[in-house]
Amino acid sequence: MGALLEVSGITVRFGGVTALKEVSFQVNAGEFLCLIGPNGAGKTTLMRAVTGIIKPDAGRVKLDGRDISHRPTHERARLGLALTHQIVRPFRSMTVLDNVALAAGYQRFHHILKAMGSVDRSAERQRARKYLELVGIEDVADKSVVGQPLGVAKRLEVARALALEPKILLLDEPLAGLNSVEAARLADTITGINRDGLTVIMIEHNLGEVLRVSQRLVVLDNGRKIADGLPMEVIQNPSVRAAYVGKESQHAAA
Amino acid sequence: MLYLELLIQGLIHGSMYAVIAVGLTLVYGLLRILHVAHAGLFALGGYLGLLITNATTSLPLGMFTSAIVVGICGMLMYRLCYQPILDRPPYVALIASIGLFIAMEEIFRLVFGPYGLTYKNPPLQSQINLMGITLRSAEVGMVISALILLGILAYLSQRTRIGIAWRATVDDPEISKSFGIDTIKVRYLNFFIGSALAAVAGVFISLLSNLVEPTMGGVPSYKALAIIVLGGLGNVTGTLIASLLLGVVEAFGTIYIGSFLDRDAIAFAFLIVILMIRPQGLFAGK
Amino acid sequence: MGIYEISLATVVCINIILALGLNMISGFCGQISLGHAAFYGIGAYTAALMVKAGFPIPLTIAAGMISAGVAGLIVGLASLRVRHDFLAITTMGVGFLFLGIVRQQELLGGELGISGIPSAGLGKIGYLAVVFAIASLSAVFSLWIKRSWMGFAFDAVADDEDTARVVTVDVGAYKLAAFAMGTAMAGVAGGLYTYFARFLMPDDFGFITSITVLSMVAVGGIGSVFGVIAATIILTLMPEFFRFISDYKLLVYGALLFAVMRFAPEGLAGFARDAYRRLTVKKQAGETV
Ligand SMILES: Nc1ncnc2c1ncn2[C@@H]1O[C@H](COP(=O)(O)OP(=O)(O)O)[C@@H](O)[C@H]1O
Ligand SMILES: [Mg+2]
Repeated sequence: MGALLEVSGITVRFGGVTALKEVSFQVNAGEFLCLIGPNGAGKTTLMRAVTGIIKPDAGRVKLDGRDISHRPTHERARLGLALTHQIVRPFRSMTVLDNVALAAGYQRFHHILKAMGSVDRSAERQRARKYLELVGIEDVADKSVVGQPLGVAKRLEVARALALEPKILLLDEPLAGLNSVEAARLADTITGINRDGLTVIMIEHNLGEVLRVSQRLVVLDNGRKIADGLPMEVIQNPSVRAAYVGKESQHAAA
Repeated sequence: MLYLELLIQGLIHGSMYAVIAVGLTLVYGLLRILHVAHAGLFALGGYLGLLITNATTSLPLGMFTSAIVVGICGMLMYRLCYQPILDRPPYVALIASIGLFIAMEEIFRLVFGPYGLTYKNPPLQSQINLMGITLRSAEVGMVISALILLGILAYLSQRTRIGIAWRATVDDPEISKSFGIDTIKVRYLNFFIGSALAAVAGVFISLLSNLVEPTMGGVPSYKALAIIVLGGLGNVTGTLIASLLLGVVEAFGTIYIGSFLDRDAIAFAFLIVILMIRPQGLFAGK
Repeated sequence: MGIYEISLATVVCINIILALGLNMISGFCGQISLGHAAFYGIGAYTAALMVKAGFPIPLTIAAGMISAGVAGLIVGLASLRVRHDFLAITTMGVGFLFLGIVRQQELLGGELGISGIPSAGLGKIGYLAVVFAIASLSAVFSLWIKRSWMGFAFDAVADDEDTARVVTVDVGAYKLAAFAMGTAMAGVAGGLYTYFARFLMPDDFGFITSITVLSMVAVGGIGSVFGVIAATIILTLMPEFFRFISDYKLLVYGALLFAVMRFAPEGLAGFARDAYRRLTVKKQAGETV
């Protein structure tokens, strides 16, 4: 058995800027991988390339041994890649519940003619409510998503991704914007789901949470992978420290 | 010789398109609005220019006053019509703008009559012979003033404080705000300049045909939209090139495929073909 | 009902089909089209040619529906390449392209159009009944789609295409479906118009018509079936009510369009929603006292 997700040689350029340069990594089934790196390192871009939202200039993505490099985003999602956005993007015309119910009904709208024929949403809404409970926002289920605080919107992203029943959950800074209680709770929830067998890739800045939950770390800096391994070892790695310390002294100077 | 003549005719039309479309693309770059009522301001410019010229017998005075007044109308239009609906989905401003344009056309018709107005002593009608091609001085005047106006615009935007602030705002409104640029002022300036340019174009067009009529904004209303899309929406240089290109394509097209497509259809066929090849327009916008 | 009322009612019903078609594309699926009249025209011209060739009424209308739907599918393919404002202008271009072609085609009567089209042979009332039935069917179909999972997926596409993809919606397929269904409805409306007017002119299907239909959708409240129907009735009949100031009717029309977008951008549907909310709030307040 190879890795569940195998990403190799991903290069992404935006105009003249090289956002990612030949980044490769793997995730094994059941693993909890954290992706860290300073701001602008290319973490979000890497997730977007893996899910096909942006087309990389080079590189391949394999899921379960199958090459999905040329599949469109919606097919990758159907094959089991569920992404949450760093900058939340709820469906603004829907309630919180329906945002998740739509995702939960992914089999309903797979075939367009069948989608035309079926109207019943109650089963999906029921499942959606479970996911909202899981992330702790069930009390705003029937409210419009417009005007919800960031903490709710962030957790909604996670609930919506879970509703897709994915093979791999890709979380882009899901804890940012939550207060420490909410963050710890959501981190625990995600760990619990991971323990039940779901593979998780999480981008996160909060090193405390990262060390607490992750089994392996991948570190990006300036579009390159600079470390990959067990969390405690990676964190001791001099180049990782340099990347972080360098950025921090820049911040201090700014 | 035919080729050269067609090319020149195309460039003449194109230069007029450019003067109209620049204002439109600036508005789009800044506010993401398809400002159809721009064509109403263009027609207003034609009317005012003609009325003042007839009253004072001075074309420069007519053109200048028309540009200033229409520029102010443009600013008012921004303040009263667009600013309150900027945070709505884009079709809201688009439809509001179309409504405004229809209403303006009707006002022109009701106030000035349906048949249009003509110059008492049409200025710039003499013929000029250039390399064996006969042009009217109004046509030459239009091209020259397009060059001068767009040149001044380029100079202002590169070399003056307000111009730089303006370009920065078109590039990225959020960032420029954080740099302390008064983006609201930039918007007013933008509407003033764009509308004043449209007015000048309106005056020149009325000189070419010696006519202003209520529906004169009709063609610019949609063709200028096609041009700014072709130019990459919000990209000023792209818009200028697209204007000239479209002028030339139309000039040649009417000769060679005019028998099964009219002028407008040629323009849009060209637009559609280009967009299918380059969905972001000829020049990447934003 | 006199002849005049009957023909007004027929026009209203045809416009309802036309507007509900655009509502499918722009309202449900969020793809703004400024060229809807072209599909109306394709349906009308197809039906007219079929009538002249001697085909009976159900076939002519069906042919109009299919040809418009196929054309819509092709434009839908374009919508997969270009987005948002680029799409709006592309569809506008399709409208002008259609007119440009029709104007220069001998077969389609050129500038002069097609005249001498025979009636449907159902009598004025009988024809109104048919058109009314099809309009009702369109309304029911629209309401069904809105409630269905297809409508749910449309909502997602209209809100945010990229995110829709992330939750497995095949955005392209849904856009094509919306275009095909909406333009097919326009084709039906066009076919029905052919028998009603019995005389087609290119300008009946020009930019102004596209804008008029878009206005019906926007004034009604984009996406709302009942709102669109109400707005279609009002906007179709308004010029008749304003006959006493007939010279001002376009002015009133333009001003109304502007005013609705400026002051009530959610249209009649938004207006009704607010009124209802206010009423129920008052009622609840009354009950608790
Ligand atoms: N759509 C885009 N266009 C241009 N540059 C981009 C775009 N998205 C990201 N970038 C650039 O790519 C780099 C990596 O960004 P990102 O992946 O968001 O970093 P991270 O998520 O690690 O903070 C940054 O320099 C950013 O400015
Ligand atoms: Mg990021």
